[in-house]
Amino acid sequence: MPEAKEEPRPLNPAAMELEAPAGGLSAFPAVERWDDWVEFDPAAWPRKVEKHYTLVPTVCFNCEAGCGLLGYVDKGDFTIRKFEGNPAHPGSRGRNCAKGPATINQVADPERILYPMRRAGRRGEGKWERVTWDEALDDLAGRIRRALIEGRRNEIIYHVGRPGHELIYNQRILHAWGIDGHNSHTNVCSAGARTGYAFWHGADRPSPDHANARFILLLSSHLEAGHYFNPHAQRIIEAKQRGARVCVIDTRLSNTATKADWWLSTWPGSEAAVLLAMCHVILRERLYDREFVRRWVNWEEFLREEHPARAQTFDTFLEVLGEVYAEYTPEFAEQESGASAAVIVEVAREIGRAGSALATHVWRNAAAGNLGGWQVARALELLVVLMGAVDAPGGTAPNSANKFVPAPPIMPPPAKMWNELMWPREFPLAFFEMSFLLPHFLKEGRGKISAYFTRVYNPVWTNPDGMSWIEALSDESKIERHACLTPIWSETAQFADYVLPMGHGPERHDLLSQETHAARWIGFRQPVARVALERAGQRFNFTYEAHRAAGLGEVWEEDEFWIELSWKIDPDGTLGIRKFFESPFRPGEKLTVEDFYRWIFENSVPGLPAAAAKEGLQPLAYMRKYGAFLIEEGSYRAHEKTLPAQDLKDAAVDPPSKVISRGGAAIGIEIDGHARAGFPTPSRKLEFYSRTLKDWKWPEYSVPSYIRSQVHWSNINRERGEMLLLPTFRLPTLVHTRSGNAKWLYEISNRNPLWLSPEDARRFGVDTGGLLKVATEIGYFIDKVWVTESIRPGVIACSHHLGRWRLKEESGGERWASGLVELTHKEEGTWMMRQVHGVQPFASADPDSGRIWWQDAGVHQNLIFPVQPDPISGQHCWHQKVTIGTVGPEDRYGDIFVDTRKSHEVYRRWLEMTRAAPGPGGLRRPLWLARVYRPAPEAFYIK
Amino acid sequence: MRYGFVIDQDRCIGCHACTVACKDEHKVPVGVFRTWVKYIEKGSFPDTSRHFGVMRCNHCEQAPCVEICPTSALFKRDNGIIDFDNSRCIGCKSCMQACPYDALYIDPQTSTAAKCNFCAHRVEANLEPACVVVCPTQAIMTGDLDDPQSHVSRVIATQKVAARKPHKGTQPKLFYVGIEGDLLQPSMMRPEHSSMWADHNPLSDSRPVTGDGADDVAPGSARIVYDVPHPAPWGAIPAAYLWTKSIAAGVLLVAALLLGSTRGGDATLANIVSPILALLFLGITVVLLIADLKQPWRFYYLITKPNFRSWLVWGTYILMIYGALATIWLARGWFSGSVPAALIVATAVFAAASACYSAFLFAQAKARDLWQSPVFIWHLLVQALIGGAALMIVAAVALSAGPVIILATARILAVALAVGLVMILIELTLPAMSEEFRRAADLISRGELSLRFWVGAVVIGTLVPLILLGAAMRTDGRGLAAGAALLALVGLWIFENLWIEAGQAVPLS
Repeated sequence: MPEAKEEPRPLNPAAMELEAPAGGLSAFPAVERWDDWVEFDPAAWPRKVEKHYTLVPTVCFNCEAGCGLLGYVDKGDFTIRKFEGNPAHPGSRGRNCAKGPATINQVADPERILYPMRRAGRRGEGKWERVTWDEALDDLAGRIRRALIEGRRNEIIYHVGRPGHELIYNQRILHAWGIDGHNSHTNVCSAGARTGYAFWHGADRPSPDHANARFILLLSSHLEAGHYFNPHAQRIIEAKQRGARVCVIDTRLSNTATKADWWLSTWPGSEAAVLLAMCHVILRERLYDREFVRRWVNWEEFLREEHPARAQTFDTFLEVLGEVYAEYTPEFAEQESGASAAVIVEVAREIGRAGSALATHVWRNAAAGNLGGWQVARALELLVVLMGAVDAPGGTAPNSANKFVPAPPIMPPPAKMWNELMWPREFPLAFFEMSFLLPHFLKEGRGKISAYFTRVYNPVWTNPDGMSWIEALSDESKIERHACLTPIWSETAQFADYVLPMGHGPERHDLLSQETHAARWIGFRQPVARVALERAGQRFNFTYEAHRAAGLGEVWEEDEFWIELSWKIDPDGTLGIRKFFESPFRPGEKLTVEDFYRWIFENSVPGLPAAAAKEGLQPLAYMRKYGAFLIEEGSYRAHEKTLPAQDLKDAAVDPPSKVISRGGAAIGIEIDGHARAGFPTPSRKLEFYSRTLKDWKWPEYSVPSYIRSQVHWSNINRERGEMLLLPTFRLPTLVHTRSGNAKWLYEISNRNPLWLSPEDARRFGVDTGGLLKVATEIGYFIDKVWVTESIRPGVIACSHHLGRWRLKEESGGERWASGLVELTHKEEGTWMMRQVHGVQPFASADPDSGRIWWQDAGVHQNLIFPVQPDPISGQHCWHQKVTIGTVGPEDRYGDIFVDTRKSHEVYRRWLEMTRAAPGPGGLRRPLWLARVYRPAPEAFYIK
Repeated sequence: MRYGFVIDQDRCIGCHACTVACKDEHKVPVGVFRTWVKYIEKGSFPDTSRHFGVMRCNHCEQAPCVEICPTSALFKRDNGIIDFDNSRCIGCKSCMQACPYDALYIDPQTSTAAKCNFCAHRVEANLEPACVVVCPTQAIMTGDLDDPQSHVSRVIATQKVAARKPHKGTQPKLFYVGIEGDLLQPSMMRPEHSSMWADHNPLSDSRPVTGDGADDVAPGSARIVYDVPHPAPWGAIPAAYLWTKSIAAGVLLVAALLLGSTRGGDATLANIVSPILALLFLGITVVLLIADLKQPWRFYYLITKPNFRSWLVWGTYILMIYGALATIWLARGWFSGSVPAALIVATAVFAAASACYSAFLFAQAKARDLWQSPVFIWHLLVQALIGGAALMIVAAVALSAGPVIILATARILAVALAVGLVMILIELTLPAMSEEFRRAADLISRGELSLRFWVGAVVIGTLVPLILLGAAMRTDGRGLAAGAALLALVGLWIFENLWIEAGQAVPLS
């Protein structure tokens, strides 16, 4: 038996489903038949026409979850016939949401961009000419090389939406160039929640162990969207079936909320009050895990710093805790949120009964909507901590427990740069780049950009204040060259100099690891057509050559693009860049993707070489075959890990804090005399009390508390027609602006009406289908109404994803999804958008394009939102106070008006709330706090 | 071996993965669905809830689609799967009238009927259907219902399950766990013209069948918030075909009555003109029948690939025999000047059969409660007499036939109109066989279609002709008789259209 235990487990138990249950049907073809799977053609059925497929695993790209897909490639013509799930994938276990199989629409989309293109007219004019990859690379590489040589390193920015290569592989590239050039979408997304989590335990994401939970508390909609929808939904329902209770806090009735035992429709922004009221009940009724709190919360530091006069005992702490949260009574929470105090008490007691099996999640939702939204995550985590559920079975772990980042060959040293266009001094604690403020920074003259890459990033559409983005992207003195790396047209691509077609999920390489459950796994994304062609004996230097052979134009992949670009930037190696892009196996020769992943799989993934050897395969061949590998499963409480004796040699213990350090770096914490790993925080404990926040000028928020949102109900005067617009919710079928080319998703969901309660509908005298004018400080849009009992009165809700537009009939937008608009720049700063027509059927190679029946493209609401950066997390606070008006005779459905001068004023106003760096020691940012693409320590200091 | 589905709505999260995986597997065109997820909401804020129902073919043990399909394009496999062969399908859409679950659609690419076939091609390779494999929460289960140890059998045995419309006698092999009751009662909800995230589909226009005061919905009662369109399969052409067929059958029926009752009169009308008219209208009927096929060039499959359980096939044979008899009648009338009594009787029998077989066909349209009316068969006979007599009067007047025959025909028309009106009133007012029947009947008698019914079919099409006929009989007014006949034909036309439209108005899913 012990021997068997040492055997690496090559696949998730889900793979056992490959075996047909006796007498039943199998979910998947047996893996030994994947190379030549024979299936009957369903179109010819019931005639039995055999089709031969080679099955290539890859990873879905239609959200961040990274679920496994299995591409069925026709062995005759190497077209991809369909995508199913990959049973060997530990996160998704062979199952997918609607967006998984819809990947085939994206691959086969007749509207897709097949060749690199360069603009032929003015920016935004919509004229394009085809260029070769080399032409595009030469121009971009030359420009980057000049910037590097001339010391303009901060003028190169890579701005990414959905990353891919999100582990550290793109950091490798930018740091090899010696730049601090990564910009992301995160501050319009999850920075709020990340900040709240990071201040607690250093890691910036939660990893709920839903499958083993007894109580699941969601401030999210994981049964229909979000990270990680499909893997989480599977496990939430599993837990529910086993008797777990579920509470969902969400203003609108989501599909998730309707499946819950309790739905709390809170006034947006009041969530922290509700959560702290639950903590209040748990404290009052002593339902918490006393021992866990005593051992793992930094209460000693808290008492030392804040209550030095009182007895420094745990009982004092409990006393103080009771005092701190005395004001958060359920009645107070009811008054703030509208949710019933009795239900809050009931839920708190259920949580008490669940004990440490408390799985929780907040990702965007309240944390992304409100000023101080980051405190929602902090309040939620306080519940987890009180219950001792941190990294417990059925509890909520820091994501670092369930994620694995395999090291690549040769990692360049971190860049010695700090780019203030992304990390400005006003936001020293911002969890990610202040990406959505870029147009305002450029407007203020904080810098210019010589080479700007956007990659699956559509700021014109996705970010607030898109008209300011249009202004910035149109100004060639501010953004000198813009290359858009994208598989599809987008609003932003219309304002690029180059549109460079990069593959969809199944058309490129990538390595992923997500904290979908209590396990660590990696998923291998592969260009399905290339792998199939190579199985058939063909060889290619570049993926775009394989795609050419498979009828996919010259669609390329980033991995190879960055290697080629880097070689062209430094062809002779004199800039010191080229060496990072040389093969680890053939010194001096150019790195290939094959080399890259072969090296990682052979050297960086524990257990993988052994598992591969067991099947007589090289690690790379194993990963090409299975597409995923389970490294570890079911391990909990990483913080309790005892530090090995050799680590403690030369280690010192700081007397008051008991933090164990070696060579200047903290490695653990002494708890009750035992050396434990602890958490990556300054105290190595769970930081109920954040000394960092105090030191960085926010003493009032040093412990979890409730910050009133910019849309608190006392700021909304309903008598004057004011309402709260909740603009963020997602649908189970779409993903941001990447799914406009999925016809099977769009025929299900294609418009975004305003959700309005019957009470409010009566107030405004409208019914379903009627039009309303929704105005913010900077502009207005006009949308149709959908009257529903699923939204709280006083709140108007409008879903994300929809309202796509294009400026030209033939290019710039997916015709499946976008309406044609006319955009007029009236006077300085004022913009008017009017729909010329909605979605229309069109002729193409796909007869389905002629069958489009939907006409409503929806309304692009984000354009009228001013930027509202939270002064601490840097998160854009999405919720908007709006004034609702009736429409006049000149108004039309889909009209949008924006004044960017006003949006700049709002930006200035929010900027005033910040408390700028330097912090202690002249730092730009606390050294301990995680930072993406972390530069060298010296770059952290303001000189 | 009998494969079946269990769909656990407690596990279902309404994500539409099954919908899309099915589309991917079968390349189902945009606009039509083999499986879909219907959303409803009920309650009032904050006590609101949303419920999902995964809808699809029920793989009925007694599948009405298989029974009605004239060419056996739909068939049951040995393993219980209801499969189809689109190379046999003529696109008659009768299966769409038979299925009480809205499971079938016409594929716009192939112009043939299609539906969930349990991924029979995958089952053949020992694989589960695509929707089962993709489902994130394993809410869709399959297995052998004959095997008590199979997972589905055990779920059915140990949990509360429900089936859609068991009273239809179809013996569905799809069982739901945890389905919201309102999803099983589709006719109880008003049609919605927009949904929470989808545009209004122009194909989904349907009649409000819950319109009157008694049906006023209680606050918070269930409403549809997402659904896919299910346009009515039959439109004006089948209505026109019922009309022309009534006339074609009625003409010789009336001629037979006239020959039996008015010996010695002018026989030209009965011997020669009436078979010509019957053949003419029979020809139009056949053209209409074929024109309404989505695969008109496959019309001969009715003869070459017949399903003898389908009344569409029997109807075809009846019409063919009737056409042959009418031809012989015409030949005898033309060449020998008299029609033998045996031929008259035989023709009359097949004329009646031509008129009435539709009642059996409509009865096979199990989805449509209105068409299940037991009076329908007699009503068809009366309609044939109305159509036949009316056309004969017009012909007689046009050919300046003698008053005796016009009077006799007018009597037949008057009696037929009166009996027909009584029958309609009986059909619409007797206690309804089902709620769906009542809603369809109400749509005609007091709903959106009532104006066309009362003014068009009753007043203009029946009462006015009766008055005119009464006057004509008293005054021997040929013009009055012809006017009455024309109005009766218009009334019949209106009624056939109402019958087709109302029959399909009640939502099935």
